[in-house]
Amino acid sequence: MTRVISILFWLSLAAVLAFITLPLLVVVAASFSPTATVTFQPFEWTFRWYGDLLSNRWLDPFLTSLKIATVVAATSGVLGLLAAYCIVYERLPGSDVLMSYLLSPLSVPQIVKGVAIVLFLSMIGFQGFLGTPALIAAHVVLALPFVTRMVATSLANFDANLDRAAQILGAGKLQRIRHVLLPMIKPGVLSGVTFAFIISFNNIPLSVFLVRPGDSTLPITVINYLEYSLDPVMAAVNVASMAFILVVIFLFEKIGGFSAQIHGGSK
Amino acid sequence: MNLLDIELVSVSKTFANMSVVKDINLAVPQGEFVSILGPSGCGKTTTLNMIAGFNAPSCGDIRVRGRSQIRVPPERRNIGLVFQNYALFPHMTVNENVAFGLKMKGAGSNEIALTVKDALRSVHLEGYGERYPRELSGGQQQRVALARAIAPRPSVLLLDEPLSNLDLKLREAMRIELKEIHEQLGMTFVYVTHDQEEAMAMSDRIVVMSQGSIAQEGTPAQIYRDPKSRFVADFIGKSNILAVSDVKPNGKTAEIVVGNDVRLIARAPDDDRPIRYCSIRPESVSLGAVTASGEDKSNRINAVVRRVINLGGSLEVLAQLSEELHLHILVRSSRSTVAPAVGETVALGIDAADIQTLAE
Ligand SMILES: Nc1ncnc2c1ncn2[C@@H]1O[C@H](COP(=O)(O)OP(=O)(O)OP(=O)(O)O)[C@@H](O)[C@H]1O
Ligand SMILES: [Mg+2]
Repeated sequence: MTRVISILFWLSLAAVLAFITLPLLVVVAASFSPTATVTFQPFEWTFRWYGDLLSNRWLDPFLTSLKIATVVAATSGVLGLLAAYCIVYERLPGSDVLMSYLLSPLSVPQIVKGVAIVLFLSMIGFQGFLGTPALIAAHVVLALPFVTRMVATSLANFDANLDRAAQILGAGKLQRIRHVLLPMIKPGVLSGVTFAFIISFNNIPLSVFLVRPGDSTLPITVINYLEYSLDPVMAAVNVASMAFILVVIFLFEKIGGFSAQIHGGSK
Repeated sequence: MNLLDIELVSVSKTFANMSVVKDINLAVPQGEFVSILGPSGCGKTTTLNMIAGFNAPSCGDIRVRGRSQIRVPPERRNIGLVFQNYALFPHMTVNENVAFGLKMKGAGSNEIALTVKDALRSVHLEGYGERYPRELSGGQQQRVALARAIAPRPSVLLLDEPLSNLDLKLREAMRIELKEIHEQLGMTFVYVTHDQEEAMAMSDRIVVMSQGSIAQEGTPAQIYRDPKSRFVADFIGKSNILAVSDVKPNGKTAEIVVGNDVRLIARAPDDDRPIRYCSIRPESVSLGAVTASGEDKSNRINAVVRRVINLGGSLEVLAQLSEELHLHILVRSSRSTVAPAVGETVALGIDAADIQTLAE
């Protein structure tokens, strides 16, 4: 019986993984397509399209996206950490209300949010903010609930006895935060920050309202390009940005030492 | 006069209308090993937390070396604390854990290294410094927690049931080690436990707590020999508690009646509160068939053996004295001991001094 269950488990896991990865594999294959239309020819392939990526047409939006995502990750990391700290750890009055308020953007569709921001900016006469500043602000609003939630979870799991242990050993509040609290919740904060980076880097529905022509993010540039042509360059862009995201995740994992941290492992 | 390290003066603690600690007075001289002993939920941890400073008393004063600590935060009380669940920092090595207190005090790195080494040596964990807590057994983690607490040389060390997560063998070994460390360091230890054997084995003085108040305090021998209440008699060791229906004082002794018609000569009470119960330790009753005769016991009573359990080194006998009066008796047994048979009538001997009268 358990055997059957275990076989079923592995089969469904394989199905899910296939469902996720096969479309990606098609994109990867397409990015090596030898012809200018997207075809699948397993024995002929070329790196030509990747060469095209190094043109300003793709490099500029990439750098814009990278810049925005970095600022968004850092900002929402700091804000999320502060918010979660005040709500979960200090239990400031009104914490529950504040938490619901911080999570509320989750329930508004991104398109609605995008329209609202554009309208708001023009109402107060700040159209000049459109482009990078508006994108950063909007992405922070989008990412903050996730970051706050993740940090809040690791704070809730933090053993208050560790804080007391540090305190009775003579550590003042700031020392306890620095030497005990932050190292213990670092994995949660870093996952939150990684998440924020990816949310910003990949965002389309919100960004589409806020980009300024000539200073577009990578996903928006891809969308615009797709309106006119579907060619292997497209696939190459997507594969490259996928690879980039994987590298980012890997790097955060490295500095966070996620698994090691969770088990209190080696440095 | 000994310098008092810790004083609790009429300390009470109320949580949301629930009185958890009630008017406790306690004075601990420097270097003493005091145990706070009591059943679960009687307020031991709450009391310890007030000494450490994590909880403020609702009223009363807490003094360390004569100085009120009410306004002093825990980090400036110079008190060590060993937690029940160890509370080691999982992201630090053993060395870093033990060094933490010294680092917070701003000690130099040479001094830290030396002290850490010393502390680890005194808990027999040399060579474990580079490990992480998760790479240690429960007993080893407990030792690290101890080393971490003693490394900064606090004036007072508080221990909250530090051995309760260890198995029996390790617990017994750690008792001896704790006692040795206490003697080595000369620090004041306040040790919280619900295990009376532990308290008996280590303490200079035991404070028995019950429902937020101190039921009795004294040396382990005093507490064991002269329990002042049914609660203490029953909680410290095993005891036969019998209801007393009549008392006739007679100088140093008193004649009491238990179980309707059994008359016993008991030790006269220290105060003149009415006697309601008496307590007889199982091991203070001698069994005619087992012990050598000729001993002069104040009380000689016949009883019927109802149950005999052989515990190896001793026999646990249930003897019936009258219709509804039973005594649990514990006698040492050796190779030559002939165990009494169930149903046999035996003569019990009890010294008057071993019958403790109780008012409550
Ligand atoms: N923060 C709190 N709020 C409300 N009640 C509390 C609080 N802390 C403790 N209590 C109550 O106070 C009583 C004593 O608790 P305490 O932890 O001091 O017991 P203890 O003697 O240490 O017991 P144990 O041996 O189980 O650890 C308990 O009934 C507990 O429910
Ligand atoms: Mg407790």
